[in-house]
Amino acid sequence: MLMGGNKMKEYLEIANQPLMWLMVAPAIFIVLLQAFLISKKAVKNADLVGLTKEEVKSAFKIGFVSGIGPALAVFVVMLAMTAVLGGPITWLRTVIIGAASTELAAATIGAEAMGVEFGGADYGITEYANSVLTMVLNGSGWLILCALFTDKLDVLSHKISGGDVKVMGIIGGAAMAASFSYLVSGHLIAGGARLLTAVVSGVAMIALIYIVKKFPKLEEHSLGIAMIIGMACGAAYVL
Amino acid sequence: MDKDINKLYKEGFTKPVIRIGRWTLIAATFFCFVPSIYLGLRYGAVPPIGNILSAWLLIASIYGPYYFIEPISYFPVLGIAGTYMSFLAGEIGNMRLPVSAVAQNVLKVESGSKKAELVSTLAIAGSIVTSVLAGTLAVLAGSVILGVLPPFIIKMFDFVLPGVFGSMFAMFALKAPKYGIFSLTLCILMQILLKTPVYVTIPVTIFSTIGLALYNSRKNKVNNN
Repeated sequence: MLMGGNKMKEYLEIANQPLMWLMVAPAIFIVLLQAFLISKKAVKNADLVGLTKEEVKSAFKIGFVSGIGPALAVFVVMLAMTAVLGGPITWLRTVIIGAASTELAAATIGAEAMGVEFGGADYGITEYANSVLTMVLNGSGWLILCALFTDKLDVLSHKISGGDVKVMGIIGGAAMAASFSYLVSGHLIAGGARLLTAVVSGVAMIALIYIVKKFPKLEEHSLGIAMIIGMACGAAYVL
Repeated sequence: MDKDINKLYKEGFTKPVIRIGRWTLIAATFFCFVPSIYLGLRYGAVPPIGNILSAWLLIASIYGPYYFIEPISYFPVLGIAGTYMSFLAGEIGNMRLPVSAVAQNVLKVESGSKKAELVSTLAIAGSIVTSVLAGTLAVLAGSVILGVLPPFIIKMFDFVLPGVFGSMFAMFALKAPKYGIFSLTLCILMQILLKTPVYVTIPVTIFSTIGLALYNSRKNKVNNN
C-alpha cells in the first residue's frame, strides 16, 4: 500500500520497455501480411473479372487515401490509452480489432477482477498482466469465430441470393445503408456538436456528389472534404 | 462461359482467400498472447487462474454477443475477403465500410459483382496500410504531433466519427432514399423508445432493411412480368 506510487511507475516502465515492442510486433506483422497475401490473390484474379491494371492500382490507392481522414480518430484515443497501458500494448490493441472503448473496458475489468482500480495506486505488474489478458481473450472471440465461420457465411449468402449478382447488389446496398444508419444514429441522438457535425458532413457530401460530376478528380477525396467541413463546424460550435 | 468464370474465380480467389484468412486469424490470435507470455516468463506476472477466468467471463458477458452478431451483420457488405481483413484490423464502421463504398463508387462497378468484390478487397487492404501507419505514427509521435497542432484542429479530431458516418449515410441515402430513411428511423426509434442494446439494434436494422429491399425487388419483378 505504501509503495503504491512506486508500484504504478514500475508497471508502466515494464509496459514501455523496448522488448515489449518486439513482443507485439509479430501480431502487427500478421495484419500487414494478410492484407498483402489477399491483395495478391485479388490482383491475380483481376483479369478474370475484367478489372484493369489501372483499376487495381486505383482501388488500392483509394482505400489508402480515403482511409486517412477516418484514421485520424485513432490519434486522440491512443494518447489516452498510452498513458495507462503503455505504448506497445496500445499499438497492438489499436492495430488488431480493438476499438479504444472496448479495450479500456476490458482493461478495467481485468483490474477489477484482481480487486484493484485500473491505473490506481495498487495497480502493479500482475494486475496489468491481467488487464492485457482480458483484452486479448476478448479480442480472440472475434478472431476465432471469424476464422471458423467466415466461409460458412459465404455459403449461406450464396444460398440466399442464389448467386444472382442483382440480388447480391441489392442485399449489399441495403446492408451498407443500414450499417451507416446505425453508425450515424448515435451521433444524431447525442445532439449538440456531434449532431451538427453529422448533418453538415452529410449535406456537404450530397453537394460534393453533384460537384464531382464536373470535377471527377475530386471524387476520391469527397469523403475527406465532407468530413473536414462537418468537423470544422462541430469544433466551431463547441469552441 | 459464365459457369467457367465462376469456377475459376472460386478456385483462384475464394478458396485461397479462405485458406489465407483462416491461418492468419489463428496465427494472430496466438501472437496476441506473446506479450502476456513474456510478462509471465520474465517478470513472473502471472495472474491467478481464477482471476483470469472471472475477468474473461465478465468481459465475454458484455461483448460475447458481438462476436457472433458483428461478423454476420457486416458480411453482406464486406464479403469473404473483407470479413477476414476487417475483423483482424478492426475499425470496421469508420474505415473498412467507407473505403469499400468509396472505391466501388469511384470505379463505378456493379454492386454485388465479382469485380466489385475485388475492388472492395483492394480498397480495404489499402486502408489497412493506412491504419497500421497511422497507429504506428500515433503511438510513436502522437503527443508531439498533437503538441504542434493549433487547438482548433485538435478539437476537430473529436468529431471524426460523426463526420465519417454523416457523410457515408448521406451518400447511401441519396442512392436509395427509401432504405436510408427506413433504416435510420427504425434504429433511432428502437434506441430511444425501446432502449434496445446494440447487439439487437445492429442486426435488426441491417436485416430488416435487407428484407425490405428484397421484398421490393421481388414485387417489382412480379409487376414487370
